[in-house]
Amino acid sequence: MADKENSMADENKPSLTMENLNQKIIISVDRLSKRYGSLMAVDDVSFSIAEGEIFGIIGPNGAGKTTTVECISGLRAPESGSTAVYGLSPRQNRDKLRRIVGVQLQESSLPPRIKVQEALDLFASFYPDPLDPNELLESLGISEKRNAQFKKLSGGQKQRLSIALALVGNPKIAILDELTTGLDPEARRETWGLIERIRDRGVTVILVTHYMDEAERLCDRVALINHGKLIALDTPAALATNEGGGVRMQFVPSGSVDDKVLAALPGVTSVERRGSRVIVAGSGDLTTRVLYALLKIGVNASDVQVKSGNLEDAFVKLTKTDDKTIKVEAGKQ
Amino acid sequence: MSTQDSEVTIQRSRKAFWELVKVEGKLALREPVGVIFGIGLPVFLLIIFGSIPAFRNTVPGTSLSAFEVYIPILMVTMLIFIGLFGLPIPIVRDREIGWLRRISTTPVSPTKLLTAQVTINLIFAAVAFAILGAGSVLIFGVKVAFEIPGLALSIVLATIAMFSLGLLIAAVAPSQGVAVGMAQGLLYPLLFFAGIYIPIQFLPGYLQTIGNFTPVGAAVQALDSSMQGTFPSVVPLLVMAAYAVFFGFIAIRYFRWE
Repeated sequence: MADKENSMADENKPSLTMENLNQKIIISVDRLSKRYGSLMAVDDVSFSIAEGEIFGIIGPNGAGKTTTVECISGLRAPESGSTAVYGLSPRQNRDKLRRIVGVQLQESSLPPRIKVQEALDLFASFYPDPLDPNELLESLGISEKRNAQFKKLSGGQKQRLSIALALVGNPKIAILDELTTGLDPEARRETWGLIERIRDRGVTVILVTHYMDEAERLCDRVALINHGKLIALDTPAALATNEGGGVRMQFVPSGSVDDKVLAALPGVTSVERRGSRVIVAGSGDLTTRVLYALLKIGVNASDVQVKSGNLEDAFVKLTKTDDKTIKVEAGKQ
Repeated sequence: MSTQDSEVTIQRSRKAFWELVKVEGKLALREPVGVIFGIGLPVFLLIIFGSIPAFRNTVPGTSLSAFEVYIPILMVTMLIFIGLFGLPIPIVRDREIGWLRRISTTPVSPTKLLTAQVTINLIFAAVAFAILGAGSVLIFGVKVAFEIPGLALSIVLATIAMFSLGLLIAAVAPSQGVAVGMAQGLLYPLLFFAGIYIPIQFLPGYLQTIGNFTPVGAAVQALDSSMQGTFPSVVPLLVMAAYAVFFGFIAIRYFRWE
């Protein structure tokens, strides 16, 4: 069992390395730590982000997500460890870094009476090569609000303006923190579409969120942070499959199949029968393996259904296990 | 970075600064409480006082009319409102709502936002000085023997002292509520010692002494002498300079960006 899991982990590994994606690392976080008083807000976190990725940072409230991105964007100085963006250190290259990183901050508001157009023109004047504010308003669907004051905007419109401000400087990287918190489902979906369009323009996106559906839908990879520590880093699909209770595959075989053959496949944890149906449970790339095994013995599978655990299941499991470990360790001390 | 590059950067940073002044100036005019009280009230009082015939009579024991006694008092009243409300409240608001922090994620330094607020309020104060000065001379026909260098020095020192007080409030007040509370707490004592209720000359001796050692009392004293054609005496000038340095030091020492 344990062996099987290890071998699965090894097989998944190549998909995680940057060389494999043939992409350039543009952000690196190396052993980052930050303490507030006695609380380790970020504790020895390392990861890197490739150009063009949508990289998710997920975790419970107060896990250290915001502090991590604040260190990356240079708003906070790390206690130890370092971050670099296109090789620039946030402290030594403050201005250069700020020209290429657009930030949307959690809990940051605009002066209530500032007009949409004014805010955007103002921010455009801060950058050497800004986007056309009018085109940006157009593409974000708030151009009819250009003369409205900030306080008159709806929650969704405020968020879109906030995104517009993060993008108007034509950044290479956009850091979006709790972007859709407080939005209604429709506005959230619109915002998701928007983030995908941002990425299509070649902007690398760091998305901080505590919504698992959001991370699952948008992110190429997610880092799960709990109590300041990085506890998982993978694609949402891999996390869901490996940690979210695995995959359950059902099918009706066209001929006779020996359960032992299926059970011996890597990643399979159980095989059951329900009438004519075979139910195989396990983890990893189970479906392909089962179908390939059936093909080899000349059996067809019909009515195939695959259900896999989702990111939320993985999230709950990983944070719970982590919390228990922490309690046990604390008990030992 | 080549010289050309850095020149471009400097130009852009100047442009960004004036954009900030423009936008924050518009915001100040849209939320005009500070402007109404800072400029509107003194101008309103100037018109009222200028229209009361009895105010044209010479005040016993001086060579001035009551109206003339009030001109420096109204100027200082204007500085009190700008220093207590117009300058600090928007700074505290911008910090409280995260706007200051939002600006600090851009290539523009958040110090620029503070400088922009100071600039806007300096413009307001200059406009108000001009209206009060020109209005009293041109409309109400006040004949003053301006002592120009003394007047300029008094205006500059009084403005710096009151702006430093405003920055001190902006520095230490954690929220808009606290800032308004502090400003209101200081408002009436300052108005009193500026002489808006009773000109300081008519207060009992010990209150005059206290008043002369407040920034506002010293400012009225210095402006008063300059308008009578005498260079102000050194004590009120030093008092204002001392407050400017003291408030300014505390403001810089305790300013919170977040």
